[in-house]
Amino acid sequence: MNTIDVELTVNGERRSATVDPRKTLADVLRDDLELTGTHVGCEHGVCGACTVLIDGQAARSCLTFAVQVRGSQITTIEGLANDGELNPLQQAMVDSHGFQCGFCTPGFLMQITALLADNPTPSEPEVREALSGNVCRCTGYQSIVVGVLRAAGGSSIATSAH
Amino acid sequence: MSTEVAQRYVGASVARSEDPRILTGGGKYVDDVKLPGMLHAAFLRSPFPHAKIVSIDASAAREAEGVVLVYTGEDLEAMIRPGPYGISLMMNQDKPAFSCLATDKVRLVGDPVALVVAESRYLAEDAIELIDVDYEDLAPIATYEQALDPTNPPIFEDLGSNVLAESDLHTHGDVEGAFARADHVLSVRINQHRHQNVPMETRGFLASYDREADHLLVWSANQGVHLALHILAGRLGLSPEKIRVRTADVGGSFGLKIGATREEVAVAAASMALGRPVKYIEDRYENLMASGQAREEYLDVEAAYSDDGDILGMKVHMVVDAGAYPGMAAALPTMVEGMLPSAYRIGALEFRSTVLVTNKATYVAYRGPWAVETFVRERVVDLVARELGMEPFEIRMRNVVTRGEEPTSMITGRSLDGVTVRESLERMAETVDIPAFRRRQEAARAEGRYLGLGIASYIEAAPGPRAGQSPLGLEQMRMELDGDGKLLVYTGQMPHGQSHETTLAQIAADEFGVRFEDVRVVVGDSDLVPPGFTGGSRSATMAGGAALTTARALRAKVLELGAHLLEANVSDLRIEDGAISVAGVPSSAMGLAELVAAVQEPGRLPEEVDTELKVANSYDGGAGGWSGGTHCAIVEVDVETGLVTFERYVVTEDCGKLINPAVVDGQVRGGVAQGVGAVLLERAAYDERGNFLAATFMDYLMPTTMDVPNIEISHLETIPLDPDVNFRGIGEGGMIVAPATIVNAIEDALAPLGVRIHEQHLPPARILELAGVVEPE
Repeated sequence: MNTIDVELTVNGERRSATVDPRKTLADVLRDDLELTGTHVGCEHGVCGACTVLIDGQAARSCLTFAVQVRGSQITTIEGLANDGELNPLQQAMVDSHGFQCGFCTPGFLMQITALLADNPTPSEPEVREALSGNVCRCTGYQSIVVGVLRAAGGSSIATSAH
Repeated sequence: MSTEVAQRYVGASVARSEDPRILTGGGKYVDDVKLPGMLHAAFLRSPFPHAKIVSIDASAAREAEGVVLVYTGEDLEAMIRPGPYGISLMMNQDKPAFSCLATDKVRLVGDPVALVVAESRYLAEDAIELIDVDYEDLAPIATYEQALDPTNPPIFEDLGSNVLAESDLHTHGDVEGAFARADHVLSVRINQHRHQNVPMETRGFLASYDREADHLLVWSANQGVHLALHILAGRLGLSPEKIRVRTADVGGSFGLKIGATREEVAVAAASMALGRPVKYIEDRYENLMASGQAREEYLDVEAAYSDDGDILGMKVHMVVDAGAYPGMAAALPTMVEGMLPSAYRIGALEFRSTVLVTNKATYVAYRGPWAVETFVRERVVDLVARELGMEPFEIRMRNVVTRGEEPTSMITGRSLDGVTVRESLERMAETVDIPAFRRRQEAARAEGRYLGLGIASYIEAAPGPRAGQSPLGLEQMRMELDGDGKLLVYTGQMPHGQSHETTLAQIAADEFGVRFEDVRVVVGDSDLVPPGFTGGSRSATMAGGAALTTARALRAKVLELGAHLLEANVSDLRIEDGAISVAGVPSSAMGLAELVAAVQEPGRLPEEVDTELKVANSYDGGAGGWSGGTHCAIVEVDVETGLVTFERYVVTEDCGKLINPAVVDGQVRGGVAQGVGAVLLERAAYDERGNFLAATFMDYLMPTTMDVPNIEISHLETIPLDPDVNFRGIGEGGMIVAPATIVNAIEDALAPLGVRIHEQHLPPARILELAGVVEPE
């Protein structure tokens, strides 16, 4: 099969790979660039685990071919912390016990990053709407929603028990 | 001694040790493990539910680009010994016989027929397309009726029919007397539908066989490394010392990832044949279709009750659709029978069961596998209330046991020691003003709006009371102090979201006297950790108790050594913040790292002193105990769209002493979310010809942020049964009781339309049928 050279900027760093045209961005990130923080949950664009930022926009890396995004700026979960310090969103998720098994987590954090860039102080319904395309099987979502509201510096939801 | 221990961490929502890695992309799941020379596997799966395999031509696949190996079922027969796979290891079934990959016939859509190993997963999947299988259709068995029809062909010839197991009639208490005394008998068939675990990480397995060393290294997404090791050893004919099973982070499981499956054994056999690492990561289509499903069963119930609302007795016939290959189904009826009376004074029960084989995915464990006992009982309670025109809450208060009064055990035998369902109902009535809701409901009905309130209660043996029981089992644990004075905790628990790296460290830190940060919990390596697995909501008591008692034993050893080093009496010594000191003499403090070094110094201590800073221990569950509680949902049903929305969802639960309240709340909410999915969305649907209809997330609908309500939780930390260990499991409770709670609320909402609900799956289309808005199909 013919291969194609792909140049990307990933988490601020120039990266390149020589890949099959059919190889998904998720697989290139994970296999070729060894950034395994991005997870693949359904490979058909529904669960959102593979969400990354492509030029600032949240996108499904399982439905994107790497060759489609040559030259783009990609941000993955590995790009959120600054020099090993958790960023405010990550810290808010620690404080809220946001996640459990951690598999959906990268996709949620990237989707939330995109949300907060657009709308730094979302309401609870806005958070729920924005995250409705990401599936978590462990938490029932409440702790994640609380984490987003906490990261946004807003008040917590009324029924949060802790 | 325990009374001296300051509880600094237990009881607090300590931040999770797991979080820094999972929030930064630093988690390591099985698909993140890469080994040199690693190959990738894919499976050809049957498109038919039931068919004879006439021939397989894999020649083109064997020649395809990047393909290293193709195995059919026949190829694997010589390499693999018959025996159990997956959870059926625990079930002691000698029949039916079957092969690792399908040989003579296929028995479900998704049955693995051939294995391709190639240089990449892409190339392996390409080659799958080139395998030509000639099938001859057989009559599919896809319904209870088809499985019970003796004229249909058996799915497994050695069973002789499609009945896997049939029990005798078991009678508990005076059943005929109860029915003779009853004013009324309710007769219903209550259905649960097939749905499934769906962890966000699918199954995954990496086998790496080293020919020179004759050693098999396995990475497996799993709930317990030793169960997988045991099955691999048995099926592959390897001695257990030749196998090491490791588990990385696990992306959820909910009962699915237990032992080693047929696909995993096939992949291990391929690695052994090739002497190279082979990785198999199930895709979502395979996960939904073939990893395993659960919950499909019905109970025919006759319930005898009085005019006053006393539930006197029940007669039950349980019928289970076990799917094709052996899983958990054969063990279910006994569990359901034992638990059906729960915390209710139901004085008589007659029970029999039939377990059927069908051309569907294997019935596996799913969070609270026996939960149909709660669904059926709590449905029956509400149906009786409705027949009598009584408030369902009042019927519950009338029928649940009171602590300290007879009966103190279920009619099926189990002790109800420490059960607090009554207290959880009382707490619920304080939290939700039921009379005020009834007034609001009536006003809403006058406006054509349908509000409903549903309540349901449960108990779970997590791990169960010791009183009157067989042993609760032993939980093993090892602890050691390393050279830095850090406490290492080796557990057979294999957390997959439950936060054991945090909770076990909290207990150990408090009991031993080190900082939480100085405890490291080691999991998931058969070379390092003792046997065990995570499941059955047992880890809070069993592993929590093991952590407490093992830390205590190691602490005693350290105090003994400290007494020598500090020339003091043990009773005068303290271990706090990772240092040992004479009480009241801060200047005497010796850091634990210093102690470890001193202990190892030759000649420092008398020779007879045991200087090994390690303890291996096992814990027997102490007094054990029940978890349990009551849930309440307030819903509105839109009879134009069939949509159900939650106004409120309230939980009052008792899992004893909380180790980490935020972790407990997370377990409760996650379980409720799965219950919301079960009732309103999820169904592993097959048509009557056995075709699988829900193989993508467009068809198998998972609950999202828009479906799961905020959940209010209050904890009753009552009734300590044990002097030391009163943590009890909470992993399964939410999923056990939420379906009944939600269905009770929906029926309550639709009651003015005369609706009675005898099933669990209520998507909008079904709501509209029940409400009489559309004609049933």
